[in-house]
Amino acid sequence: MAVTRRELLKGAAALGAAGALSHAVPGAAQAQTTQKKELVVAQGGDISKLDPHFSTSSNDIRWSFNIFDNLTSRHPDGKLYPGLALESKLQGQTTWVLKLRQGVKFHNGDPFTSADAKFSLERTYDANVKTMVATVFTTIDRIDAPDPYTLVITTKKPDPLLPARLAFYGGQIVPKKYLESVGNDAFNAKPVGTGPTRFLSWVKDDRLTLEGNPDYWGGKPDFDRLIVRSIPETAPRVAALLKGEVDIITQLPPDQEDRVRANAATRVDGALYAGLYVLAVNSKRPPLDNPLVKQALSLAIDRELIVKELWKGRGIVPSGPIAKGDNFFDPKLPPLAYNPSEAKERLKKSGYKGEEIFIETTVAYVSQDKAMSEAIAAMWKDVGVNVKVEVIEYSVRAQKNREKSFKGMYWSDPTSTLADPDGMMWRLLGPGGPQDYWRESKFDEMGAAARFSVDEKFRAEAYSQMTKVFLEHFPWLPVIQPYEDYGLQKYVEWTPNPNQQFEIRRFNFKFRRA
Amino acid sequence: MRGLLPFVVQRLFRALIALWLVSTVVFVVMRLSGDPVPLLLPPDAPISEMERVRRELGLDRPLPVQYAVFLGNTLKLDFGRSLHFRQPAFTVVRGYIAATLELGLTAFFLAALVAVPIGLLSAMKRNSVLDHAAMGFALIGQAAPTFFLGILFILLLSLKADLFPTSGRGGWQHLVLPALTLGAFTMASIARLTRSAVLEVLRADYIRTARAKGLGEMIVVAKHTLRNAAIPILTITALQFGTLLGGAVVTETVFSWPGIGRLAVQSIYNRDYPVVQCTVFLAAVMFIIINFAVDLLYGFLDPRARAS
Repeated sequence: MAVTRRELLKGAAALGAAGALSHAVPGAAQAQTTQKKELVVAQGGDISKLDPHFSTSSNDIRWSFNIFDNLTSRHPDGKLYPGLALESKLQGQTTWVLKLRQGVKFHNGDPFTSADAKFSLERTYDANVKTMVATVFTTIDRIDAPDPYTLVITTKKPDPLLPARLAFYGGQIVPKKYLESVGNDAFNAKPVGTGPTRFLSWVKDDRLTLEGNPDYWGGKPDFDRLIVRSIPETAPRVAALLKGEVDIITQLPPDQEDRVRANAATRVDGALYAGLYVLAVNSKRPPLDNPLVKQALSLAIDRELIVKELWKGRGIVPSGPIAKGDNFFDPKLPPLAYNPSEAKERLKKSGYKGEEIFIETTVAYVSQDKAMSEAIAAMWKDVGVNVKVEVIEYSVRAQKNREKSFKGMYWSDPTSTLADPDGMMWRLLGPGGPQDYWRESKFDEMGAAARFSVDEKFRAEAYSQMTKVFLEHFPWLPVIQPYEDYGLQKYVEWTPNPNQQFEIRRFNFKFRRA
Repeated sequence: MRGLLPFVVQRLFRALIALWLVSTVVFVVMRLSGDPVPLLLPPDAPISEMERVRRELGLDRPLPVQYAVFLGNTLKLDFGRSLHFRQPAFTVVRGYIAATLELGLTAFFLAALVAVPIGLLSAMKRNSVLDHAAMGFALIGQAAPTFFLGILFILLLSLKADLFPTSGRGGWQHLVLPALTLGAFTMASIARLTRSAVLEVLRADYIRTARAKGLGEMIVVAKHTLRNAAIPILTITALQFGTLLGGAVVTETVFSWPGIGRLAVQSIYNRDYPVVQCTVFLAAVMFIIINFAVDLLYGFLDPRARAS
């Protein structure tokens, strides 16, 4: 039912765009500057949790990253900056010494100290708390707080990515005293952090109201209030932007962007997704255990066409398993090639005899998955592959993922949580990882060694070698690295963050005043 | 009013059976449709963690045992803890009921208040321009899918004409478009049925008699026609309340209205058994209460209903 509705909604929206309606915008919304003191954001999904350790959903972390601070902070430029920790120094191979910011207060007035930082990180993997981020800090052996503004983290083995881990989900710092006195449920209902916005009220599935924190150590954000609405359907979300009811909308699909651009008061901005959209391969199933077959499948995909037609140009063709913007991304590596005649050659050489090859596609698990499946299936048929597209439901996908029982290929959107190949290809494709369907000893040795090395040169070489192995065996068929787009009023100055954080701190958000 | 009490008792008994059937169907269907545990945990959670969660939620026990526990708890209005919200399901759902009732009742009364007079007028001015126009709109109202109407209203009445907000819950202005959208089908059905019911009655002998004895047209319509046409109108109106609850699922999604329809859809996607069971159960209770009330009204309007 959801499928038809979604498709028809798109149709209805297109109808509106085609007609005179698309330019029908009331005059009040035409302004390029504003006197607004209230920022209204509409996102495509509901908020389910505000306790930052109980959710990894983008609809939740957008806001928990603004109610709370992390020890380190990843800015929209993709680089790491100081957060609640002013500096982090590695002593020896496994000891990180962090100097904490002084004079920071939680929203309830309690001072922030190393005891809160220690408590927060330990809470993530405390078996009694049962958080959703228990796997983030598994490299940590021990945390000490020798004085109120020093934190010493000892890892089990060298962990070059610890500062990166501290910047993402799981790393939000919660107040020890307040949390212990009110308990987890009350804390989730009325969260208290050190961040640039303070919690005011939350009506589930309707709106979250936050206020700008005047005492924020990074300066009060450029608004008095921040209102977050959830508008799940695309067409009403876009309409709310065009009408000027909201200032920013998330999850703007490429086919709606012309409407936003055509409107005098609004614009489109996006960030290249920190990750890839791939067809993940069950390489244990013949004939997908044959590298030549997978090379042929990759060569037969016209990715340029997919980017141009289905994504209206809002994406780039990947060059391998490392997303652009990540550590060790090699700009010299060419985009994955399209060469149907070479694909036919390799199929012939592989001894492929027309066995069925399955794509088990979801619908809107990743954006455009079904449309891309159909396009790719047509391209594969052209080179003589006997391809079958089957539609599976979200929960069936979750189950097959769990049981590792996919019949062939399925859509996945590997996210680079740490802006590093370790947090993406090694986390997912490594031995025992959630997408472990294929093993190659060289890949495994390099991946394991790079994980525990603090030698950047060695790591660069290791990931380059792993990319070579990857491009021979294709445990994923990378298809696109898309942009994640937002619709904005022109009076909003704001830069999206590739990792789905929604940065509204002073350095990244401003209303343009007259 | 002799015979009313056994009638009430009998209807009440039927209502309870219907409730039991509804909850059983929901219980079975939700369990047939897949395992919630992989959706609750991150994709790389170990098997031992999956089993711990399954045990904690009682999902490792045999189905008949789960069913018995479920029935016992349902009687106490305890639907278990939401897997997604980690709160008692009833507490979660309770927070959404007011929004749905506000929308549903507005749509319902809007539909009834507009549709009955229109149907009546159409019947009395049969084959006039007014009749054709009204029935034409009714046909559109019945044929157009809810989500299509919703988007159309947003584009025309909100974006273009700037009369109402595009979505969300707030003042009465926020209520207009979703209530119109949700009520359109119901309004159309009631208008069409009122028209045919009234036409039917207008042909009856007792109407001719009423007219023959010189009663004014107003009295003929108000006393003789409407009261006799009321039973089918009432039936369809009550049944339409079920359609409204179903339509709320789509309308609430299009207009981001924080009601139980949208909650139900989200909970189905999340495999949040307790919340789905609780919403369906409460929706069934609402529907059954309305029907029960209508049954009683029948008995009041038509003595023959009590006898059967």
